[in-house]
Parts: sequence; structure tokens; C-alpha cells
Amino acid sequence: MCKAAALHRYLYITFNRSFIVNKFLIKDLMVPISEYATVPVGATLFEAYLALEKAQEEYDHDKYRHRAILILDKNNQVIGKVGQLDVLRALEPKNEKFDRFEDISKFNFSSQFIMRLHEQYLMQGEPLSDICKKGAQIKVEDLMRAPTEGEYVEEDTSLNTAIHQLVRGSHMALLVTRDNDIVGILRLTDVFAAIFHTMKECGIDDQ
Amino acid sequence: MNALEKLFIRIVQRVNINLRELEFDAKPYVWDLIPKNQMTKFYAFYGIAPDHPLSLQFKHSGLAGSYFLGQCRVSNSLLYKCDVRGDELKKKGDKFQFKDFKIPIFRDEEIVIEDSAFIKTLIHNFSHDPETLEKFFIKDTISTHYANIHGSPSSGCFLGPFSTVDLTTMWDCIIGTFSYVQAGEISHLNIEPGTVWVQSPGAFNFLYRYPIEKLKDYIYFSAGIKPQGIFMDFVESRKEDFQKVFDVVNLEPHLNVPESASLDRYAVIKPKMDIGENVLVSQRAYLENASLGKGANVQENCFIISSRLEGYNVTAHGAKIIEANVGKNVFVGFNSFLRGQPGNRLSISKESIIMPHTIIDIAEPLTIPSGHIVWGLVTNQDDLEVNSISIADLSKIKTRFTKGNMFFEGSGKRFVSAFQDRIHHILKANGAFFNSSDNSDQGHAQKNQNMSFNTIQPYPRGEHEGLFPTIMIQP
Repeated sequence: MCKAAALHRYLYITFNRSFIVNKFLIKDLMVPISEYATVPVGATLFEAYLALEKAQEEYDHDKYRHRAILILDKNNQVIGKVGQLDVLRALEPKNEKFDRFEDISKFNFSSQFIMRLHEQYLMQGEPLSDICKKGAQIKVEDLMRAPTEGEYVEEDTSLNTAIHQLVRGSHMALLVTRDNDIVGILRLTDVFAAIFHTMKECGIDDQ
Repeated sequence: MNALEKLFIRIVQRVNINLRELEFDAKPYVWDLIPKNQMTKFYAFYGIAPDHPLSLQFKHSGLAGSYFLGQCRVSNSLLYKCDVRGDELKKKGDKFQFKDFKIPIFRDEEIVIEDSAFIKTLIHNFSHDPETLEKFFIKDTISTHYANIHGSPSSGCFLGPFSTVDLTTMWDCIIGTFSYVQAGEISHLNIEPGTVWVQSPGAFNFLYRYPIEKLKDYIYFSAGIKPQGIFMDFVESRKEDFQKVFDVVNLEPHLNVPESASLDRYAVIKPKMDIGENVLVSQRAYLENASLGKGANVQENCFIISSRLEGYNVTAHGAKIIEANVGKNVFVGFNSFLRGQPGNRLSISKESIIMPHTIIDIAEPLTIPSGHIVWGLVTNQDDLEVNSISIADLSKIKTRFTKGNMFFEGSGKRFVSAFQDRIHHILKANGAFFNSSDNSDQGHAQKNQNMSFNTIQPYPRGEHEGLFPTIMIQP
């Protein structure tokens, strides 16, 4: 590509990024909190799943499915989030031997070596055999993660800033606030879809 | 508060600043461990030998009961009953091999201790860090009972009792009780108690971790309490024997030893002893009712009781052998505790390697076959099956294997040869292969015979009570 063409492409993309962030507002892209899967503190893992399923059926009809559950305290304030990985992590076998594998990486063993150890260990047992029991026993507060400072975004913040927050923190979603209340969830998947929708509309491939 | 207490606070603060990332506070661990009223009670002393350069400098430090040899500078530090043995430091003109580099040594190496506190710690060997070959530095570091800092420059570290850092530069690390680390260079690591880690990057990686509840019977250390357990009971019960040796200025040798052997004047020797040629017994070693065959060596803080060592044995710093028969060319690593019982003896067959920080404590007879490598906690035959492998089998490992609490990755062959090369080097350095007919292969056993000792004393009273005046000792 010649210098002039490269400059033209740069200006085009810059312009369109500006266009994207102006075209979409956070409140347009976010999922309102009322449509999101939530459970109170004290709920079991299974109850959390039922809430997720209900939210899916009632509100989310697009092809991107809910992937997390918000945990509310008695004042209905969000105090944590449970994602798919958190659930799988909670279902893994937990004992002293397994925990000891976890920190072996600090002794400079290769990741391949550590993976083999896990495989060997998991093959010895049947980690998912008591999944029903675990689903009824595990409380959401035992596996939830409290949102970090970088996971909140004000409703009227520019989408550009929100994108930066998602990228910088490798977050799957941000909690959207209005006057310190959480009013919605801005999901990575919705932001991603909006950007590519815009690209498609402006026919960037033809340039 | 006198100068000594102020100094201690300063040292603790410097260590804490270095270890802030690990959220560690050294004060509750060590404040009562250094007996401040005893810092006036014991003299310090140094060796003079024709074969070692002499350059000592002590400044604003307490040195009670500590020993120095070679080239060493100590400032703003507290040393209680420590050994700082500079008889293996590099000399001007030596060449240090590091990977493809052959680095010339441009001046005699010295041990430089600053802003540190050590209790009954051994500092020995030479700096293996290619970035600091002429200066074996130890600063902002605290170590506790019977720790070994062996060829390991240190900055901002804390070492628990009976821990060893071997040939490893360490920055801002906590080395847990009875842990052994030989890893080249480490930083900002908190090594849990009972960890045995031997790593040569790109070649092999060995890790064993003790079952912590069982280890507590042998050694336990926590904030606010002194180290306790079988190890401490064992050494404390023999403390008075050492006191006698240190109280007497001129001690007449009461045991005939071959001319090629060396029995340190500050070792405890109790009947009946049989010492072979080229044997080296270092200071603070304890021998009782034992036989040491040709070329055997017993290093600092070792105890050999009711045992027979066939010859060419390395018993590394702090190892203890009780009621055992030990075959030729057996290596017993740092701080190992090998205890048989009368009538239930431990037999270690020839050419076996007992890894550093191994505990073999048996109530029934146990034999370790020849050419085996043993690690971890062994109390019976079943434990031995889990915690040992033949050297031949280990040499065949090319990728990885695990056994019990032990993890190994890399080349077994290189792991074995690293140990065997080192054992040979230790025997050679200690004079085990000395040939009296042509005086070849002299080592510590022969050179240490020509040694005399001077004592130095601290301020007995006043603001500087327990501290030593600034002293420079030059040839």
C-alpha cells in the first residue's frame, strides 16, 4: 500500500471509530438490570442457574446468550458476579493435593507439566459425579467475584471510554451506573456486535 | 534503648521494607530470638591461616560467638554464634565459568554483610552470581537458627530455621522453615516451610514438599515463639558440650589423628572415635562414638553419633547421622536428619545420595540399597519406596516424572551428574584425595591444620554494650 493510501485508510478508520462511538450510546447497548439474571445472597448454585435460564427465556431473544448472574444484597445492591468460569472452577475437585498443583508454577515448571499433573489427577477421580449435590450445596457468595473499580461505567460515559475499560481490564462486561445505582450491564459481546455492524454498514471491505 | 537495640530495629525495618510486597513483618518472629543480654557474653574469633587471604573489617556490629575466616566486611549487623567461612572465596586471577563466558576475577572476593541479623547461621562458599563475582553480598537479610547461606548473595530476605539457600542469588524472598532452595536466582518468592527445590533452568527441576503436619514434629516456627521440635531438642541437649569447647582458650588435642586429617579445635569430640586419613571435621561439628573412614568429611553443625562412615563421605552442613552405617561415597545433604535406633540401625549402601533436607527417622531396621537417591520424609520401608529411586533409573528420565510429593521435570541424567560432579568437587576441596607421597590434591583437611585463632570482645557496658568497636584486621 502506498503512503497516500495508508493515510487515507487511517483517516477513514479514525473517522469511523468516532462515528461508532457517536452513533451508539451506552444506554442503547446495555442490558437493563431488570432483564438480567440476579439472585440474592444465600442462593445456591442451582438457583442461580435457574435465574439465568429464566432471564434467557423472558428477555434475551438475540443470539448472544446471558453468561453471568449478578448477586444482590438485602438492599438489592449488586455485590458480586458469577460467570461461567467461576461455576466450572467451583465444580473442580478441591483438596490439599489439588491446591498444591495450583501454585507449582511459581517453581518454574512448564505449563505442559502442570497440565499433565491436572490430567493425571482428574483421571483418578470422577470430579463431576456429584454435580447434583454440589449444585444444591454451593452458595453463590462462595464463588462470586466482587466487581473491581474498573468494572463500573457511568451511563453517560462515552462508548469510547467503555471500550477502553473493557480492553484494559479484559472484562466480559461492565456494570452501568446512574447516580451510584446499577442500571444495566454493558456486555462485551454487544459492543463487539455494534462495532462490526457499523463496519459492515459502511462497507469497509470495499475500500 | 541502647545502640544494639536501635540497630536491631533498623535491621528489622529494612527487611520489612524489602518484604512489604509479601506482607511480611519480621519483628514478631525475631525480636526475642536474639538474646540481647547475651551479646556481651560471648567473644567473637577469627582464624589466621597461611593459605587464605586475611582481611576483616567490623563496624557498628554485634558479633557474639561468631567466627570469621578469610576476607569479610561486616557493618551495621548482628551476628549471634554464626560461622562466616571465607575459605572458598575466589582469588584474583581465577576464571569463573558461566555458560559460554569465562570471566576473569580481578581482585580477591570478599563477603560483605550489611544491615543484617543472623542467628546460628553458616555463611560459606563463594558468590555464584556472574554479576557480582568479587563481592559475595548479604544485605537487609535476617536468618534464624541453623540456616545456611551457601554461595548465595542475598538482598532483603528472611530465612526460617534450618533453611538453606544454596548457589542462588535471592532478592526479597522468604525462605520457610527447613526449606532448601538451589535455583540460580529467585526474587519476590515466599517459599513455604518444608520445600526442597533444586532447579537448573533448561536442564532439570526437582520439587518436594513435606507434609506440613508431620514436619511440625521435627521443626515448627511461628511468630512469637522460638523454633521448636525434635531438631531443636536434639541440638539444644548437646549445647553444653559446645560451651565447654568454647570456654577453654587452649585445648589440648586428646585424640590421635592421621597427619593428613584435620579435626577442628572447635568441634566436640567424645569417645570413642576412630579417624581415618584425609578426614575433615569442621568446627561446631559433634562426634560421638563414631568411625570416619578415609576421606570422609563432617562439616559445620553436623552430628555423627554411634555411626560408621566407610570413607569418601560428604556430610554437608548441618546434617545429623545417628545409629547408622554409611557406605563409601555416600552423600548426605544439608540439614538432613538420619536417625536409626540402637538395635534398629539405618544402613545406607555405597554411592547413594541423600538429598538435602531429608528426614529418615526409623523405629525398625532400614537399608537403602546402593546407588539410590532418597528425598523427603522416610520412616519405614513403605516411605522409602515412595521417596527414592535408583540413580540408574533416574538417569533414564528425559521429560518428567512424579512420585508421592515429588515432582521432576527435565533430564534425570543431568540432575544426577550435577550432584555427582558437586560431590566430587566437595571431596576434592576438602582434601579427601590428598596424596601424602607427593603432597598433591591438598584441601581443607590439610590446609586447616596450619591455623590459629584470635578472639575479639564487645563493649561490656554502656551505650554500645554488646557491640564491637570498629576493628580492621589486615595481614
